[in-house]
Amino acid sequence: MRTVNTEAIPDRSRAFPALDGGRVTLRKTLIVCGLLLISVFAVIMMTSLFGSERVPARASMCAILSLGQSSCGLTLDQSTILLEIRLPRIFLAAAVGASLAAAGASYQALLRNPLAEPYLLGISNGAAVGTMIALVFFGAREWSRPLMAFTGALVATLVVYSLARGRAGATPERLILAGVIVTTFLSSAIVFVTTLMDATRIRSFTFWLLGDLSGTTPSLLAVAILVAIAGTIVLAVNARSLNLLMLGERDAFDLGVEVKRVRLIVFLAAGLLVGTSVASSGSVGYVGLVVPHLVRLSLGSDNRIAVPAAALSGAIFVVVADTVARTIIAPRELPVGAITALIGAPLFIYLLKRG
Amino acid sequence: MDADLKRHAAVLRPMGTVLSFLCLLIFVACSPSETPRAAETFNLRQVTDEAGRTVSVPAKIERFISLAPNLTEIVYAVGAGDRLVGNTTFCDYPEEAKSVQKVGDTLQPNIERILALRPQLVLVSTSSQLEAFTRQLDQHGIAVYVTDPRDLEGVFRSLENLGKLFDHQEQAEQVVNQLRERATSVGETVKSAKPVRVFYQLSQEPLYTAGRDSFVTDLIRRAGGISVTADVPEAWPRYSQESAVAARPEAIVLPTGGSMGSANSEVATGLKNSPAVLNGRVYKINGDFLSRPGPRAVDGLAELARALHPEAFCK
Repeated sequence: MRTVNTEAIPDRSRAFPALDGGRVTLRKTLIVCGLLLISVFAVIMMTSLFGSERVPARASMCAILSLGQSSCGLTLDQSTILLEIRLPRIFLAAAVGASLAAAGASYQALLRNPLAEPYLLGISNGAAVGTMIALVFFGAREWSRPLMAFTGALVATLVVYSLARGRAGATPERLILAGVIVTTFLSSAIVFVTTLMDATRIRSFTFWLLGDLSGTTPSLLAVAILVAIAGTIVLAVNARSLNLLMLGERDAFDLGVEVKRVRLIVFLAAGLLVGTSVASSGSVGYVGLVVPHLVRLSLGSDNRIAVPAAALSGAIFVVVADTVARTIIAPRELPVGAITALIGAPLFIYLLKRG
Repeated sequence: MDADLKRHAAVLRPMGTVLSFLCLLIFVACSPSETPRAAETFNLRQVTDEAGRTVSVPAKIERFISLAPNLTEIVYAVGAGDRLVGNTTFCDYPEEAKSVQKVGDTLQPNIERILALRPQLVLVSTSSQLEAFTRQLDQHGIAVYVTDPRDLEGVFRSLENLGKLFDHQEQAEQVVNQLRERATSVGETVKSAKPVRVFYQLSQEPLYTAGRDSFVTDLIRRAGGISVTADVPEAWPRYSQESAVAARPEAIVLPTGGSMGSANSEVATGLKNSPAVLNGRVYKINGDFLSRPGPRAVDGLAELARALHPEAFCK
């Protein structure tokens, strides 16, 4: 175990609300994450009571808590609605939210850029192109989607990263410019691939591109949940190195961080998180930006707490946003990406103004 | 001084030529290309299309383009197919329609190719959502006729209107009479049968259905069914799986096959325990019949009725 005292480092990271949010101890991290985890389950229980159809609240709770073993007086239709349509969708929302927020928080730390976000950097679009290629060429094989999405996310990350690193190193402006270029390039690629596809499938794709949580299969859901948990843990384990990297790669190196290795791990883990969530739900924007910022504002920017807290808060954010998306014009539906952008963009402007 | 000027002039002359050529090019490119149509202007008539727009069209239409497969089917049915100079890649029926010059697909027609074909009229269907494109064609002085069928009677009206437009009124009336007769006989056959509650699954993932403004809702009603989504706003709304399950449909109709290939050939996962699936009442019907408000909609109606009320047709 490397023993570098984070608090002893001179405060040079003014871009972030400094590493001064009180001493971050294991105890504090556990308490915060425990409380957030309880909130995640509370939100899941709460939102499972809302939908385009009414399902009796008490019986719903009973059925969920019995893990679907008891019908608790629900009719067959009601338990289909609750256990086979609504809950899987809520869990997918939670997994996607956690993945995107944890990935966003780590990109921001690693790239020392508060604007780094899977969507703005073009990484989501890379994953989207990968998914679409999988659908066009290996349509039937479901597992090819997350795999190709991961590949796409990784390629986009590497392109953005190498574009952003000029002779003078990667400045925040260069990074965002590179992100914009890659995003627009990949958007055109998406349009191009769309034209290769069946006309009848285009409609579902435009919807999917905006973020759509309705069409999940049990296997994709399981992959999304497992990846969300595993990816977040990997990133959280590397949080101490990320803290040091926020000071600059050279300083981090001097302080004993294996910069290249950490960068590779973070790129792989975050790429996997983004790839899996895009493969299962399209591009849900703003989650990776808004959630980590809110977390840092309230808990400080120590990544040992910010990364896991962002994951849990991201889960809450997307679950709530999707509940709005599926109920506000019921029985019709909106894409969840529209809701996260509607909430996210104004919130972000407010944060910018206040900051 | 004089020599200087001359030298300058010598340099400037080629530039001048280039410039004037450029000007000419720009002039030619930008001036409204009314010339071919100018001769016809004295023979215009005013018609009102189904969207309520007033359109000036030549008395005799010799060249026109269809931007929707249902309209292509209609113009062939009324006997005006020989004057069709352009249609879309979706227009695959009747067989002759396939060899007509393509101007893009229904969602993204190519304005340049349309202009190059010098049509006197372009036919557009509201279902293609081409409002912006219609405006663009208007600006180029091309007449656009919009059809807006919301039920089977609306389809018949489109047939009659286009028949009138192309001076094939009689043939159009004949076709409409035959179609109406068939539709009425289907209606008579299922009249006394108990209506079946139908869910129309336009696409599986995400789930889309037919709403209030769709002509399919009318077809289902005529076929002795009740669409469980008959009151949902819009023509093709995106629909909540939960609501589809809660509606407990007795039958599920999947438009598939035809130009749709194998898309939409399975029921949405949430509906697996619906009465329709449990009783084996899931019907695949040629999507081209049900998604195109044209003459073959009556074939769709007949297939729907046979599916929903097989007993009524056995007698």
